[in-house]
Amino acid sequence: MTRLPDTEPPATEDGFDQLIHAPVRLRICAALNPVREIEFGALLTMLGISKSALSKHIALLTDAGYVTSRRAVRDTRQRLWLSLTRAGRSAYRTHVAALHRIVGDDRP
Amino acid sequence: METHGRIGPAEASAALASAERSRARVAWTGYPAWYWLTTAAGLALLPLTTLPPAWLGVAICLAVGIVLTRLAVAVNRARGVCEGWTGSAMRAREVAVLYGPSAAVLLAGAFTARLAWWAPIAAGVLVFVLFAGTALTLGARAARP
Repeated sequence: MTRLPDTEPPATEDGFDQLIHAPVRLRICAALNPVREIEFGALLTMLGISKSALSKHIALLTDAGYVTSRRAVRDTRQRLWLSLTRAGRSAYRTHVAALHRIVGDDRP
Repeated sequence: METHGRIGPAEASAALASAERSRARVAWTGYPAWYWLTTAAGLALLPLTTLPPAWLGVAICLAVGIVLTRLAVAVNRARGVCEGWTGSAMRAREVAVLYGPSAAVLLAGAFTARLAWWAPIAAGVLVFVLFAGTALTLGARAARP
């Protein structure tokens, strides 16, 4: 599992978050940000990546306290629902604001 | 791929575009076509509620509202997305593009209902075509890789 070095904090002072900025994790957070929760399989389809890759990135985001998950049974199948935590939502929005600043667009 | 250090405007812009595509896919993909057609049919019923007595018209409006809300929740659950009651993955601009023209036609239909008997029927057909056409087009656009 890829981990960021312990000496490097995920977010800098300007809100740029190294953990979120990785392409797949940015797309995961962008997908989770506007909704309450998304089912793992649906997220897999939307992102078009492998199950193992998604699991790996979700594990990293969960370890950082950015994503939380719950299991629920539907149609006799157990499904995993994912959502951003309050800290994750805040970190994602701050990171997007930092990206806007880098682009020179001061939108929130 | 891990990213370290500050990035330039080009990479930041690409990252924002990627995030926006991800958001649009959550907002628009996974809906079956029949959902948009059923919702369009439900909205198309609304102008016709000016034709029966007022109490029946109000009852039909309420029933359509309840059915469409329950349908939206069920379809969202089935596609694996729970938006909650207050939030939506759609941007305000997308909501305006989707519902704005239909709402304008509904209002126009309501105002012209007393002028011509066929006005509510024409409004209903127009609402169906506008809403279904817009929803299916935006859904197909967001689903593109």
